[in-house]
Amino acid sequence: MSKQQSEVPYGTLDLLILKTLETMGTMHGYAIARRIEQVSGETLQLSQGSVYPALIRLEQEGWIREEWGISETNRKVKFYSLTRTGRKQLLAEVASWEKATALVARFLEASR
Amino acid sequence: MTVRRVWEGLLALVRKRHLDAELDGEILAHLELAERDAMARGLPPDEARRAARRSFGGIEQVKEAHRDRRSFRWIETLVTDVRYGLAALRRAPGFTAVVVGVLALGIGANVAMFSVVDAVLFKPLPFPEPDRMVCVWEAPRPGIVNATSAPDFFDWRRLSTAFEALSAEVDLSAALTDTGSPRRLPGKAVTAEYFQVFATGVRLGRTFAPGEDRPGAAPATVLSYAAWQNDFGGDPDILRRRPVLDGEAYQVIGVLAPGAFDRDETRFWKALTVNLSRESRDIHWLTVYGRLRRGISLTRANREMQTIHGALAQSRPIDDREAAIVVEPLARLLVGANLQRSVYVAFGAVAVVLLIACANVANLLLAKGAWRGRELAVRAALGAGRGRLMAQLFTESAVLCLLGGAAGIATAWLLIRLATPMLSDSLPFTAEVGLDLRTLSFAAAAALGVALLAGTLPALRASRGSLAEPLNRSARGSSRAHAGTRRAIVIGEVALSLVLVCGALLLLKSLLKLQQLDTGVRIENTITMSAELPVGAYPTPEKAALFYQAIAQRLRAVPGVSQVGISTHLPLQWIGNGEAIELAGMEQLVRVRFKRVDPGYFGTFGIPVVAGRGIASRDRMGSPRVVVINQALAARLAEVAGMKDPVGKVVRVSYPAYVEKKEFIPEVEIAGVIRSERVSSPGNADPPVVYAPLAQAPAPEVKIVLRTEASTAVVMPAIREAVREIDPRLPLGDVATMEQVRERTLSGASRPAWVIGVFAAIAVLLATIGLYGVLSQAVTHQRREIGIRMALGARPSDVLAHVLWNALRMVMVGLVLGLAGAFALTRVMKSLLFEVSPLDPVALTVACFSMTLIGLVAGFLPANRAARIDPVTTLREEG
Repeated sequence: MSKQQSEVPYGTLDLLILKTLETMGTMHGYAIARRIEQVSGETLQLSQGSVYPALIRLEQEGWIREEWGISETNRKVKFYSLTRTGRKQLLAEVASWEKATALVARFLEASR
Repeated sequence: MTVRRVWEGLLALVRKRHLDAELDGEILAHLELAERDAMARGLPPDEARRAARRSFGGIEQVKEAHRDRRSFRWIETLVTDVRYGLAALRRAPGFTAVVVGVLALGIGANVAMFSVVDAVLFKPLPFPEPDRMVCVWEAPRPGIVNATSAPDFFDWRRLSTAFEALSAEVDLSAALTDTGSPRRLPGKAVTAEYFQVFATGVRLGRTFAPGEDRPGAAPATVLSYAAWQNDFGGDPDILRRRPVLDGEAYQVIGVLAPGAFDRDETRFWKALTVNLSRESRDIHWLTVYGRLRRGISLTRANREMQTIHGALAQSRPIDDREAAIVVEPLARLLVGANLQRSVYVAFGAVAVVLLIACANVANLLLAKGAWRGRELAVRAALGAGRGRLMAQLFTESAVLCLLGGAAGIATAWLLIRLATPMLSDSLPFTAEVGLDLRTLSFAAAAALGVALLAGTLPALRASRGSLAEPLNRSARGSSRAHAGTRRAIVIGEVALSLVLVCGALLLLKSLLKLQQLDTGVRIENTITMSAELPVGAYPTPEKAALFYQAIAQRLRAVPGVSQVGISTHLPLQWIGNGEAIELAGMEQLVRVRFKRVDPGYFGTFGIPVVAGRGIASRDRMGSPRVVVINQALAARLAEVAGMKDPVGKVVRVSYPAYVEKKEFIPEVEIAGVIRSERVSSPGNADPPVVYAPLAQAPAPEVKIVLRTEASTAVVMPAIREAVREIDPRLPLGDVATMEQVRERTLSGASRPAWVIGVFAAIAVLLATIGLYGVLSQAVTHQRREIGIRMALGARPSDVLAHVLWNALRMVMVGLVLGLAGAFALTRVMKSLLFEVSPLDPVALTVACFSMTLIGLVAGFLPANRAARIDPVTTLREEG
């Protein structure tokens, strides 16, 4: 694979969505997808559509809630925002992520 | 998964269309927004739309993932498959009808049989806490149980602590004169604890109170619900009615709640009043039931009764010393070993029928799978996974089997309705045969089992194999392996059917043997009936003797009646044990059966006197006592006492008294020997029997037998009229021809034969269908081959022979396997057969021969079709 872009590592999309909602507040699916692309500086190859199955999963877990709103093009769309348990989950996931990266970093450091 | 998730998932299932529309809207909005942004970046509209699509990714994948995520995908699949399966079944109504019919037959017969097995063997008795209900017997010798004497019963009741209640009962019947003509009602005399043991509730009134069975208590009776409904018209005022039983007015104190007792013949219960001062320990006449105290085990109760028996043994005749007392569960008494065996064998037979039905359904499904090879290949080519295809095929079979199961329940209901009246005589009254939750669960389990057995193989077969093969294959034939499986299934069917046919034929032969059984008496044109003299009206034996003489004389004058006999027992009916002969100089008693007959008895049944004389009218009360013995007893006397010619010898015989529970042991002369008549059911040797003149030792309960020249219906009114002339209050009971009496005695042997015969017939039918199906399909598939052969010069007769030979080969292999099965089952069959070996060569040969014939019949139609194939047409059509 000679592409510059990398695929979304498995399981991180949830984290990215939760973090996005924490930073940006309530937003709709397209905006979430765009935001993730922008923040990642276009280094991430994201099929924008894949946020939707992820969103329903997060909603089923009770980490985000959805409500109806009107898009910029005047269509009825769902807006998503973080719930209290979602906030907690985010903290937990960030912590575990940092632990994991720190471990890997130390490991790479040591074997250099 | 939390409850909320499950609920949301189910909700999503229902709101599928709505949720799909929502998602569509959101995707549309997403694309619009992306397009707008792209245009804002300066892309032309076409380019912008394409870019939006590109960055979104696969729309269908997203939708699929979304659906998978939000709901239970497998349910949706299942619903689709079921719907698809039903549609497929509707498209092939013939196939569906055959499969459902086969399953309805198989499952229905099994469910009906299971309801019998369950009622007889598994269901707890229909009384509260049935585990605590026991019978208590005397066991004079190990393996033999006997009724109890009244003094013993009272001692047991007084001394035992293991029982919450211990009751004694004796069967009786009474003439009911309530309204209309007198009727005979079967009933029981019971001690007051009886209803504590059986713990039956009442609909009206109450059951017996403690002490209500003491001498001097007011005459009271409890009715069964059925008696209240049928004999008293459900009179709501029944508790104020005082029906007259055997001349005495009884207060009805209660009516039992509807239940098990309504299937029993007992209609009423009255108090058993015992005057201990007049009872002897030698007369065993009471059946004892008990209800154990909570927490008392059977072993402990048995141990306690042994102790009591030991204590009582001091006051006992020497003869009874080695005896013991056994306490056993009531359930075991109600279901004898014989019935248990018959029920198991019948259930085994019907299970084999279900197995054959399964095989047939599997076969049909395989055949159908072969037609559908192409359809499945196309689906596989379009991306359906193997698991998905198997799931679909399996769902279709399951749908079929559930339909079959539903039809089977309907069939079972019908079968139970039809069979219950015939079976009720052979089953204990506690057995409630019917469709209930247990039977329905069994039906469901059977249907699922069939689905697993019959559906798995075809699903595996059909989903395997390459894509290309079925697509490339023109109608040339199914794969070899496929045909092989179907052959194997048919061979199995033939084998199983053979086992059943063998069993049925053996039982049939046994039945024929029974029909030809020499009963030792003339059966034809003989009517029997019973009469019971009320002790109130006939208090002394003299009065009874006069009555019997008068009634015999009067009946002989009835037109159409040629001979009349009176006796205490009919031929072919059990005679109670308990009497004995004492021989001079011998301590050992010779145990005998005791039967009292009038001078007309031997003549009416055509029983020949082989030595001395029969009973004559000069043997009356006051004249020297004589007895006649049967050949079996003569042989026994010769063996035990070396008595060569018993006629004229004097012995002492114990006689039961007229009414009192007593016996006396007079000296009697043996006046003659008669040829043995059959007592009780076949398989038992003729017991030694002593015949005493009825006039010298009358009994209040007798059977009247008449030889007639006309049918029962014609002469019965005149007979009733004649009896009424002598005693207008005496009802006649149990009117039956001797043929019916014989039938009743033999029915224990004949019923399993019929049941298994029916099952065997069904099995053969199913095997024929299976064989026909396989051969018929083989011919269809080999049309091209047959066509070529015929083009090369084979004659139609060669083709015919080829197909028939094919059929015969399958049948032969099946027969070998089936015979092996029949050999394996000899031990089971042996117990059900009468004078027929379980490996009877005639029965086995006939079974094999008829299965071969069936193979030829099933093969003939397809063979004929094959022989008529026109090579030109076949080859052109497939070219």
